[in-house]
Amino acid sequence: MPRVPILMPQLGESIAEATIVRIPFAVGDDVAGDCEVLEVETNKATMGVTVPCRGRVVEWSVEVSKSYPVGATLGWLEVSDDDAARHGLDQAAPEPVAGSDEAIAQSTRASEAQSVAPLVRGLPVPANAAAAGYLSPRMKARMNELGFRAADLAGIPGRGAGGRVTIEDLEAFLRRLGEHRQTPASTMRVAVADAMRRSWSRPLATVGRGVRLDVLLAHRKKSDPKPGPALYALRALAVALGENSAPGGRLIGTHIVHPKSIDVGFAVETEDGVLVPVLRDADQTPVGTMVARYNELVELGRQRRLPPNAQGGSIATVTNFGTFGLEWATPIPLPEQTLVLGLGAGKVVPAWDGKVFQPVTEAQLTLSFDHRVLDGGAAGRLLARIAELLQAPQTL
Amino acid sequence: MSSTAAVPATRTDNFQARYLQAYRWMLLARLSEEKVAALYRGGKIVGGVFLGKGQEALSTATAMALKPGDIFAPLIRDQAGRFAFGEPLLDCFRTYLGSRLGPMRGRDGNIHRGSPRDGYFPMISHLGAMIPAVAGALLARRLKGQSGSVGATCIGDGGTSTGAFHEGLNLAAVEKLPLIVVVANNRYAYSTPNSRQFACADLLDRAAGYGVEGHHVDATDLAACLATLQNAADRARAGHGPQFILGSLLRLVGHGEHDDASYVDPALKKAALDCLLVAEDRIIAEQWATPADFKSWRADATARIEEAVATSLREPAPDPNEEQWTALSTPRLREGYIEE
Amino acid sequence: MITYLEAIREAQYHALANDPRVYIYGQDVGEFGGAFKATKGLAKEFPGRVFDAPLSEDAIVGSAIGAAIEGMRPIVEMQFADFSTCGLNQIINHAATLFWRTNVPCPIVIRLPSGGTAGAGPFHSQSMEALYAHYPGLVVMTPATVEDAYAMLLEAVAIDDPVLFCEHKYLYYHLKADSLPTEALPTGKARVARQGRHATIVAYSAMVHEALACAEELASEGWQLEVIDLRSVKPLDTDTILASVARTGRLLVVGEAFPWGGVTAEVIARVAQEGFTLLDAPPVRINAKDTPVPYHPNLWGTHRPTARTIAAAARKLLHE
Repeated sequence: MPRVPILMPQLGESIAEATIVRIPFAVGDDVAGDCEVLEVETNKATMGVTVPCRGRVVEWSVEVSKSYPVGATLGWLEVSDDDAARHGLDQAAPEPVAGSDEAIAQSTRASEAQSVAPLVRGLPVPANAAAAGYLSPRMKARMNELGFRAADLAGIPGRGAGGRVTIEDLEAFLRRLGEHRQTPASTMRVAVADAMRRSWSRPLATVGRGVRLDVLLAHRKKSDPKPGPALYALRALAVALGENSAPGGRLIGTHIVHPKSIDVGFAVETEDGVLVPVLRDADQTPVGTMVARYNELVELGRQRRLPPNAQGGSIATVTNFGTFGLEWATPIPLPEQTLVLGLGAGKVVPAWDGKVFQPVTEAQLTLSFDHRVLDGGAAGRLLARIAELLQAPQTL
Repeated sequence: MSSTAAVPATRTDNFQARYLQAYRWMLLARLSEEKVAALYRGGKIVGGVFLGKGQEALSTATAMALKPGDIFAPLIRDQAGRFAFGEPLLDCFRTYLGSRLGPMRGRDGNIHRGSPRDGYFPMISHLGAMIPAVAGALLARRLKGQSGSVGATCIGDGGTSTGAFHEGLNLAAVEKLPLIVVVANNRYAYSTPNSRQFACADLLDRAAGYGVEGHHVDATDLAACLATLQNAADRARAGHGPQFILGSLLRLVGHGEHDDASYVDPALKKAALDCLLVAEDRIIAEQWATPADFKSWRADATARIEEAVATSLREPAPDPNEEQWTALSTPRLREGYIEE
Repeated sequence: MITYLEAIREAQYHALANDPRVYIYGQDVGEFGGAFKATKGLAKEFPGRVFDAPLSEDAIVGSAIGAAIEGMRPIVEMQFADFSTCGLNQIINHAATLFWRTNVPCPIVIRLPSGGTAGAGPFHSQSMEALYAHYPGLVVMTPATVEDAYAMLLEAVAIDDPVLFCEHKYLYYHLKADSLPTEALPTGKARVARQGRHATIVAYSAMVHEALACAEELASEGWQLEVIDLRSVKPLDTDTILASVARTGRLLVVGEAFPWGGVTAEVIARVAQEGFTLLDAPPVRINAKDTPVPYHPNLWGTHRPTARTIAAAARKLLHE
């Protein structure tokens, strides 16, 4: 026989629950249709709860003096098949279609499954790329206040959506920083940091090889004025790029932008950072002709008095990290450049000439490059050409 | 201009037939509302349930004074009038039980139902608002060159305090429209007694202020109601302008089914007459029906009600996924909000 | 030359002449021709179809609803938009809900002489469009040109839904055109009133003209501002706004109404939600001040946005 629930009615438009006052019928009692089988009380009134048709009370799920929410099943009535059919109780009440948590959860899942269309209302504009690297406008504003760059957040594991760094993450990070001694960074340090941040936005790689310096050092000895090893390297790089400028180009969007002239910079260390003076048309100018200008720019650079025409616009840089006694390094190309050529400290090493070991002076040459523009092979070939040129310093 | 209806009950066959017909509408309404109350207290109806127990005679008489093509804008205690005006029993239960197949399709419920194109205006909850609407419909008919129809709308003692009541009745009076405004003074607006509602000695005094004809009626007396409303409808139809009917009675239930009406003066309760019982007594006294007739009428109404309830309960509820979530009839003017 | 006000009168003339279902109802609209003369001569031309109502805004709108159910297409004139609040209940609870509840449309037009004029004060100057646009079931038009005043009013009468027709009192006599249009954009389509590429100004009603004056002023400084005339605030043409912002990257929204919420906020909310990545700077909104509309011209001139204040905001936005 069908069982019909006895429900807590909605007793007043804002009523959420009611308290059971009396249960006049016991389990097993027969009751008439529309008969009041329970008395309940709200803060508005006392009211009877009815059953929709005649039947027998088979279960009570309530206790007197306790409150139950509107819609709760208070008990069960067993009714005859005929009565159930006559009163429209022979089919389960239609379930709520939406609004239930499950329906909302389903619709959420459905929308998550949809791919993100990179359009705004059909307009050809990119949609937000939400990822760990995304900075919300609020974060950007806070970072602007602090003078922060995205790179400054590198040490903060983001706990936001997709691993983003949230304001809370940032503020917690700042509180932790407060425990440390802090000194202001110099203007130049901040400028270098900014350049490095921009440089580091690219995939960078480094190749290296040894180069013998004996011939070069002998040539230097004979020269007056005497060019430094870095100037030879700079000139060799310039000549090689003069022969094929493609590795010195920059990738902008879908194009390689080739250099207009082979202007090459060199790193000069100052008290608080590195400056890069530039020698123009270095592929057109022999080493001997450049020595005086080179020395002048080194001196001006150390004084931080570089003339404007010696700053910027270079297509590659040479850095002689050998002066620090270093044999190998992976320098970072300047943001607007694809290449940086490094020169390690020369040292005397035994070299096998086929019969015996001979002492030779050898240094390591490194070439760090933007891997988007050239691959290891092209970089290696360029470096090989430079090494080759350095074996013939008289041609430089 | 106001007059107290003292229309003698004419003992014609026609009168008897009308009386019995009215009684059966009243009975159907009473039993329907008892079923509605039971369904509400059984948890089958959500929202409010507001019943018209004790007002059936006035309500039925109002609708029975109307002819096909007339307009009727009932209020919350007019189940009897709704049936008498032609509302299908099924529409009543479909609306209360939220059937998608009902006239309001689950968008509105309980007494907020109607079928405007059939002259059966669906009330909004704001009291008095239907008076200008019916007046406007009558004005439209005049503009269209249609004559001979009237419109009736119902309100309570509380509703007479609204600005809309005043504005609507005044507009109808200015335009001399065939509008019948039936005020059921059931003594309480929710819990507020007449003494806190108005200060005039008699609400009917207001009719003179508007320049409209007023009629008193004892709303527990079906015969008086039928006669008064028929007279008022005839006068409106004949071009005498708006008619103001004031029916006196006591609401025999709470404001809604959530309200036990504990505030009602016990003396009033004790003295109150139930128009349905008064009508029964009259029928028995006149020997217009036998006890077997009463029994069969009741059984017939109960069976019809049970069938309507069972049908409505089996019908589908509105589906939010199929709902057209727009309030405009013109598709191209709908707002294109982003779907969440 | 034909004025904005004459265009409204002409539209009503044509509506009455072409559709026997149309009638005009409102205070003093009959023989007197209306407080602003928008119905001048119509009562005489169309006997019995243009007539005076008592001072009962609720009943005026309520009766129009009843008449609409009866198949009529009433045009209701509120003497001032401000007074429509006395009929608010019928508009938002009755007219706006009728179709949704019953499937019976409610084709009424409620004309709202809107906006400020010098000396009109707190109760004859309000812009009510946001209030009505808030409610589902209403269409809210805000024509800014003589052409739109004419074409949109005719369209309003033809639309099956209740239309709040916000006609700007300042434009009544100040705005003139050579002739009435024979065709127009449909309601719901905004108009690019001036093309530009540096920033988008979205405006409606009288503020379109302030925005255009601002654009002219900034053009002399080398800035090209695009001006969008919404024409209707509901429906709101988000597509045209977003397309413009996609071109300019900067958005400034101007409304004459009070600042809390409203049309300007709605426009910015939609652009922020749907076009966040189009923006180069935070969107800016300019409204009247958060006080009643003042009486004295000195105060009134500062209370509402003007070409000068819009230009100041635009310059700031352009440098953000």
